[in-house]
Amino acid sequence: MRPILLSGHERALTQIKYNRDGDLIFSVSKDQQICVWFAHNGERLGTYHGHVGAIWTVDVDPTSTIIASGSADNTIRLWDIKSGKCLKTWEFPTAVKRVEFNEDGTKLLGVTEKRMGHLGTIVVLDIKVDVDAEQTDEKELTIVCDESKATVAGWSYLSKYIIAGHEDGSVSQYDGKTGDLIYNIPIHELNMAITDLQWSPDRTYFITASKDKTSKLITASELEVLKTYIADTPLNSATITTKKDFVVLGGGQAAMDVTRTSARQGKFEARFYHKIFEDEIGRVRGHFGPLNTVAADPTGKGYASGGEDGYVRVHQFDKGYFDFMYEVERERQNRLA
Amino acid sequence: MAAQTKHDWADDEDLDDTTATVDLPPPQKITNKDGSSTIIEYRYNDNGQKVKTTRRIRFITHREVVSPRVAERKTWAKFGASAKDGNGPAADTTSVGENIIFKPSVNWRKDAKDEVNDPNAQAMKDKLKDKKVKCRICNGEHFTARCPYKDTMAPIGEGVDTADVAAGMGDEPVAQGPGAAGAGKKGSYVPPALRGDRAGAGAAGDRMGGKYGERDDLATLRVTNVSEMAEESELRDMFERFGRVTRVFLAKDRDTGLAKGFAFISFADREDAVKACNKMDGWGFKHLILRVEFAKKAA
Repeated sequence: MRPILLSGHERALTQIKYNRDGDLIFSVSKDQQICVWFAHNGERLGTYHGHVGAIWTVDVDPTSTIIASGSADNTIRLWDIKSGKCLKTWEFPTAVKRVEFNEDGTKLLGVTEKRMGHLGTIVVLDIKVDVDAEQTDEKELTIVCDESKATVAGWSYLSKYIIAGHEDGSVSQYDGKTGDLIYNIPIHELNMAITDLQWSPDRTYFITASKDKTSKLITASELEVLKTYIADTPLNSATITTKKDFVVLGGGQAAMDVTRTSARQGKFEARFYHKIFEDEIGRVRGHFGPLNTVAADPTGKGYASGGEDGYVRVHQFDKGYFDFMYEVERERQNRLA
Repeated sequence: MAAQTKHDWADDEDLDDTTATVDLPPPQKITNKDGSSTIIEYRYNDNGQKVKTTRRIRFITHREVVSPRVAERKTWAKFGASAKDGNGPAADTTSVGENIIFKPSVNWRKDAKDEVNDPNAQAMKDKLKDKKVKCRICNGEHFTARCPYKDTMAPIGEGVDTADVAAGMGDEPVAQGPGAAGAGKKGSYVPPALRGDRAGAGAAGDRMGGKYGERDDLATLRVTNVSEMAEESELRDMFERFGRVTRVFLAKDRDTGLAKGFAFISFADREDAVKACNKMDGWGFKHLILRVEFAKKAA
């Protein structure tokens, strides 16, 4: 496969998101701009300007009408995808590290940083998925994380729960309506921050990535660990592919943690694991720095990775990827045929 | 998508020594029968020489059915920093990376390791995997120098043992040659470097022979009827079109420096060598017709 290199950012990438149809890629970086790209050829559709700080996170609503972004300038902004106009700005006391729409796009959660005497919070905003509508200023819900701040969070199936990953390596489940804490389970190693949380297509389970060099597949309803993927480097991101039962992990030794890092030693590769058998089945090289974010195309045709080096690499899988099967999988297919 | 079909080295650069007085002919575009088109352009290079560039380009239309929503989004006007970009990916933001071979595999870790090491070295290791250290005095599993009977017993079956080491080297005839010679013709003079009958030197000798042993004769072509004026680099350019060339050897006269008329080309891959052999046999090169065949194994 020949990856498409997107060099629209001048600083490290922080998050990449595909829209639901898999034709648009949204990328945010510390250089204060959001880019949107066509996934099939890497053409840039446009950029969204307005943030005055590093942008940590972006999410697109299920109908691909609006996007939300969270930034170190203490705001969440809502944008019209088509025109690039900023529709709404919400101010917060601290930086926003993660935003995510729920399944139908009517609610948006934001994770705010713990800083300057403010505790980390998870806020929920009501969203009208309409470019012309007036968005409300009111926060529907605020969950305060008084023990360990949340680093990532997301909506489960039917917006029933809010799942949050914490800096201390634990995962919490909150009620999606009341915000009450239901569970808080230490899943990853103590004080190894959870760096990413991405959902399966039906949002019944999710994958976490952690600095403890592992990634775990966890159910949304019981927070039961289904699978563990062990890597040899701190992980920054993990995603679940569709069509094939794989997961993609991204990470690498951060440059600040070592004196010298070559591309190989730094382990700046996207790692593919089999989702069920937990085996590592391959790696994709290319980045010059740690992978900060990986995103799988919802159609299963490819994936994109964004690195500390400021590049987004969009990969379209080729035949060998789709043909790969374990012996047991092949036997099963033959039996069914 | 544009694919450049079968680039021909001969068309690549035709250097004419004409001075820059003649105006350049206009670029030509010819549509070929097979659907591809040939574009011929002329320009002057840095030395003032006229350069003719011929490119054959084939356009392949790739159709994909997308949902109406996606199709509609493709017609959207660009905005923000991309507002001024034309249709298609802009060169400053989008580029295509080098090809990555990604084939999921259960034991990819092993595969990757093989790739990292020299393939020849790996092959050698595999061959020697079953070989154990064997004492020539007592046939125990230790080096002869460490044998407890070193001072009391004479080595047994010396000739047999060296043959064994040579066999361990595998099928490389060049490596086997001196080793076998050393073992076989007993009594005849064997240069010290080729003697395989000393404990330490056995291994060292192997390694020295290994330099030739690693050479893969299976993917080596013998090219004869090569012009005297030929250069190794020219041969390399010619043969590299078929695959990775690991070695080019052009026999040259020691005094005059002119080519003797034959050369050996080693490929990394035997399949490439077969392709090259078929294509290049009978190829006209510097007023002579090349004869290409697979190199015979050294006797």
